[in-house]
Amino acid sequence: MGEWETIRRDVWETVVTPCTCCGQVVARRLWRTEVEGEALRFCGPDCEELYRTYVLPRRARLESGGR
Amino acid sequence: MSTDVRTESLDPVDLTIVNNALLNICREMGVTMMRTAFSPIFNEGLDFSCVLFDRHGNMIGQAEFCPAQLAASLFIVRWTVDELGVDSFEPGDVVLYNDPYRGGAHIPEHSVIRPVFYGEELFGFVANVGHLAEIGGKAVGSFAADATEVFQEGLRIPPVKIVKRDENDMELWQLIMANHRTPRNTWGDLNAQIGSLRVAERSLIRLLDRYGRDFIERAAGQLLDYSERWMRSEIAAIPDGSYEFGQAMEDDGVLAEPVWFHVTVTVDGDGLVVDWTGTDLQVRGPINATYGVTAGAVYNAIFHVTEQNIPKNSGAYRPISIIAPPGSAVNVSYPGPSVGGNTETHPKLADMVVSALAPALPDRVSAAEGGSACNFLFGGFHPKTGEYYANYHLEGGGWGAKSYGDGNDAVIVKNGNCRNTPVEIFETCYPLRVLEYSLMHDSGGSGMHRGGLGTRRHFLVTQGAEVTVNALLDRTKEGFGAWGLEGGGPGGRAAILVKRQGESEFRTFSEAFGSVSASKFTNIVLWSGDEVIIESPGGGGYGDPLMRDRALVEEDVFEGFVSAQAAREVYGWGSPEDG
Repeated sequence: MGEWETIRRDVWETVVTPCTCCGQVVARRLWRTEVEGEALRFCGPDCEELYRTYVLPRRARLESGGR
Repeated sequence: MSTDVRTESLDPVDLTIVNNALLNICREMGVTMMRTAFSPIFNEGLDFSCVLFDRHGNMIGQAEFCPAQLAASLFIVRWTVDELGVDSFEPGDVVLYNDPYRGGAHIPEHSVIRPVFYGEELFGFVANVGHLAEIGGKAVGSFAADATEVFQEGLRIPPVKIVKRDENDMELWQLIMANHRTPRNTWGDLNAQIGSLRVAERSLIRLLDRYGRDFIERAAGQLLDYSERWMRSEIAAIPDGSYEFGQAMEDDGVLAEPVWFHVTVTVDGDGLVVDWTGTDLQVRGPINATYGVTAGAVYNAIFHVTEQNIPKNSGAYRPISIIAPPGSAVNVSYPGPSVGGNTETHPKLADMVVSALAPALPDRVSAAEGGSACNFLFGGFHPKTGEYYANYHLEGGGWGAKSYGDGNDAVIVKNGNCRNTPVEIFETCYPLRVLEYSLMHDSGGSGMHRGGLGTRRHFLVTQGAEVTVNALLDRTKEGFGAWGLEGGGPGGRAAILVKRQGESEFRTFSEAFGSVSASKFTNIVLWSGDEVIIESPGGGGYGDPLMRDRALVEEDVFEGFVSAQAAREVYGWGSPEDG
């Protein structure tokens, strides 16, 4: 189960944070969660869902030589 | 039994009226912008887009502007409001920014966003995204084709309030204009953008006065859901499956090596995922795409192969998920350069998505378009006025042939939807004379349906002028032309050539000046009497050229679109069956 985390940036930090799954900028709040033992940052629960239902299965298929 | 009026479905006629009213507010903004801006890129080229958002960050209105900017504005407005906080907006504020890492398409595009309050309460936001023709950086026109980091591309502005409660922050204005080469144009163009926001605010309030806030909010919300349902039904009609496509660009302007892109489009029921995993890591030169560019290319492609009448609001975008790995050529990370990603990379990415779907939607796809805006930027002190000028010049190219017809000729890349600047305006404003502007025969890819034709434009630097030029083109090398489909041939290549005064032959800029890339170079000085030719690329063909209607081949030869030799050799014209 993930939780929202507000991003705090110092004034000299001019770079924004991308979502682990889709690559979108996360402007203010990160969805921080753990997937298969790995701590990950998403733009929201929808992207966590996309990561679990699309990215991981696809990655597994590619690693096993499938398409 | 009572009905909840907030969820009751509105009459389709009411929804259509509200949709058209929102659309027309965007168009009104556009007319304001076109008529009041200082630079030809706005009042002739129309390189800007106007949009409306609700207070939750949903796009509720857009019109026929630049697809790349329209899509990027989805992120620009939402992320800006998220970053600054919705409570930070006050009536009369205008936020300005151009940060390519925060949703923007590329650094010259400046967004202005204004909240619209109805009474004391926030209703939504109006925004205008426009490509300023000059924003500083290492190259005049701020299109540094050999940039290796964002700092060379111009002044980067994070979201800041340039107007606070209808009062200009003049210190901020001065800081910005001190970093641009043509500050008077910056002043005029940015004020035109801001003025369009005021027009939109006034019209939106008039609409709220007429129909009531509750009615407009309900209608806008139901239009979002309607667009989503329609788009989902379109996607559901595509056979489920994963469709892949790979393509390359010829170089990045810094290293003379191709850059590879890969896309997988997975259709699953009424949703789809467009995944760019497998694309090269971000490159040193400025053809990297920002997230906004890549997302815009995906939406652009999907809109091309689905029903055109779906109202274009946030609802239409909801069923589409995009994966653009950060740090790759489709999602540049700081401080990577990206100015060419919008004009050169976007059209290829969009065409890749379309082509990936060709096996599933053979009747809706088209071959690749020329896919280069042939960006040609120049500036200097005008010999007649003594004032510094800078111009961003675009060329239209050929579009890809469709499964049902020929490609369009001389049309700007599909991310742009911009117009050509008329020769008369061009020659009046700048010390260049146009000696030729023509369609190029044989530049359209061969096919049962022929690719659209590219153009040739021939300039002369006029008496007494010294002009600094930059260019960022693609598709100049053999093997990198716009691809055909179903046996169609590739489109003709692009070129940019120079002939110095006193020389007899045109050469590439690499041959004449030693630039690494013949199509991407920066800060080359030309003098009066020098000449430049820009040839824009043609579109790919569709289907076997031997299957082309013989009457159309004859017409092509008669019109000069296809040479008699190509007609004979490629289309089999003149064979016994032609009589």
